[in-house]
Amino acid sequence: MRIVQKLILVVLLSSVNGFAQNKELLYDFYEIPQSLMINPGVKTAQNWHAGIPVISGISVQGATSGVTVNDLFANDGIDFTTKVQERLLDVMKDKDDFSSTSQIEGFTVGFRGRNRPDDYYSFGMYGEMDVISYWPKDLAILAFEGNGGSNIGRSFDLGDLNIRGEMVNVFHFGINRKVGPDLTLGARAKIYSSIFQFQSINNSGSFVTTQGSNNIYESSINADMELQTSGVKGFYDIVEEDTDTTRKDVTDLFTERVLLGGNLGLGLDFGFSYELNPQTTITGSVLDLGFIYNSKDVWNYTFSGSTTTDGISVFLPDDIDDVDNNLWQELIDEIDEALPHGENQSSYISWRPVKVYGSIRYDFGEGGRPLLENCGCAVNTVRGNNRDYYRNSIGGQLFMMKRPKGVQAALTAFYQRRFGRTVSLKTTYTIDKYSMTNIGLGANFQMGPVNFYVLADNLLSYSNVADSHYASLQFGFNIISWNNN
Amino acid sequence: MKRLFYSALLAIGFLFTVTSCTEEQDFGQIDDLNITPTISSGLFYFESDEETINSAGPNTSFYYDEVTFEVFSEDYVAEHLLEGTIIYEIENTTSKPLRITIEFLNVDGRVLDAETFTIEADPSGILTREVFYGLGGKNLDILANTTGLRMSAGNLGDGTSVSSTDDPKIIFRSGGEFLFELQ
Repeated sequence: MRIVQKLILVVLLSSVNGFAQNKELLYDFYEIPQSLMINPGVKTAQNWHAGIPVISGISVQGATSGVTVNDLFANDGIDFTTKVQERLLDVMKDKDDFSSTSQIEGFTVGFRGRNRPDDYYSFGMYGEMDVISYWPKDLAILAFEGNGGSNIGRSFDLGDLNIRGEMVNVFHFGINRKVGPDLTLGARAKIYSSIFQFQSINNSGSFVTTQGSNNIYESSINADMELQTSGVKGFYDIVEEDTDTTRKDVTDLFTERVLLGGNLGLGLDFGFSYELNPQTTITGSVLDLGFIYNSKDVWNYTFSGSTTTDGISVFLPDDIDDVDNNLWQELIDEIDEALPHGENQSSYISWRPVKVYGSIRYDFGEGGRPLLENCGCAVNTVRGNNRDYYRNSIGGQLFMMKRPKGVQAALTAFYQRRFGRTVSLKTTYTIDKYSMTNIGLGANFQMGPVNFYVLADNLLSYSNVADSHYASLQFGFNIISWNNN
Repeated sequence: MKRLFYSALLAIGFLFTVTSCTEEQDFGQIDDLNITPTISSGLFYFESDEETINSAGPNTSFYYDEVTFEVFSEDYVAEHLLEGTIIYEIENTTSKPLRITIEFLNVDGRVLDAETFTIEADPSGILTREVFYGLGGKNLDILANTTGLRMSAGNLGDGTSVSSTDDPKIIFRSGGEFLFELQ
């Protein structure tokens, strides 16, 4: 049963690097160009920017709403099976999840329109991997405890199996436009180039063993389950073939998929910033309103049907002449027939996980030199009341994301402090299903044209990362022009 | 002074980032994981009406059959089975005493184990027997080597009487609870 071991380890280790997709530190941190990626309508400050390829934006996030690595693997002398029983099986619910998201920007460029300085255009490419697995509570209990003993009469929900993951490369182009002195709107179009995708998110059914109406025990199962995959089998086949060119073949296939050679999809982002008054701004954005049409390298696995069995049965006189001694095999065949499992290559659509942000911020503490004083743009030089002039900001943010079992939300309070145009700090306190003690800290440094930022979440957990329910780190380098230099 | 304060704040913040640590973890513990589910299932069900018993005549066998039964001898099951209990329930509402024998056969047809049940005529209630296989009980190898069952049912009484009970029958039920060590 090495597979069980490996599964547990993989799931838990993935939770170390698992992350929700909330980027509360980056959101509306407009000194960082990558804030455009989570609100196309953020107030843009720069004249142009270019991310340093591959290191302009790297983010990894990991989250677990239930057990942590430390809960199970701490070297505390407690029997491991006892820990699994008490900290995993007895505690975790079917809505607890392990999730992981990572992003890496290939390149990103932004520039202000020469003829339309109110417009800021940006484009680029980034890769993203996102996996979420809900805790398959009933299936885990069935595996650990079985259907017997105290579980006689218990209905195990097969719908607890709920997992989704994908790796996708995204090409994007966005326009950010200041449409008035108080309002900035933005939109971004995306082409998704899928590398692989899998999902098993609409399962239903149950398995139950009860006192039988005829025999002592009677087991019933009804199932409607499916695992959809695209892009997986191609890689699997190459690895399985295991030739001298395996590494090259994998690289070639990966490159082809990255560069629009796999399944494709379309998506849109929208966002806005609106100044209610010179010191108060509200913002909002909707990201990844899109889908991928999976038609290439598709392999789906299905398991459906229903049956009830109480073992081998002989009824006299009906079976008096039935001297067949293959009753056991016939029973197996009947069950197989009632529960067909198969494969197909039907195309399917996978929806991107839609994300929504909203925020309100209050700027105060006049002073310092406006960041955009000489940006050459029309954005922030219109009035002396733009928020860059304020050293401090305080506010709240809301994040919501569509997940397979519903909407996942997070609420954030933040404080931001600017030190001239060189340094800006932002600290956040976030509550969500993963943590009630998530304090984050982000910093943006502008050293001449070189911009560096680093954002880290859940700092209190850094004393023992293995015991963390949530961890996140983002950083990157950009070259930014604030003026015509 | 302010500048110094904020510089210190900045340094502390990033110290958090770079000095993060973790308690000692022992991932080798996963080898100690013990997964021992209890699997319950119906095994063999047999019933006969009294008319069929009578038609076979007095003091004679009215049912005899051998069936393949390889669930225990499947490699995975045989290797991971720790112990098991087979539960039998026999209910006789006919007017005659009956005897049922179930034999566990290996691949050569040799009898590894047998259970015999003699049930008085109605009213005799429900005869229940639990047979434990494993440490302190019968040898677990009996189950692991069983590939077939031989079932015989005999009439120990006359071949004409009919019970006054509604729908008189002999009913033989069996089920098992098996403890496996998967890990």
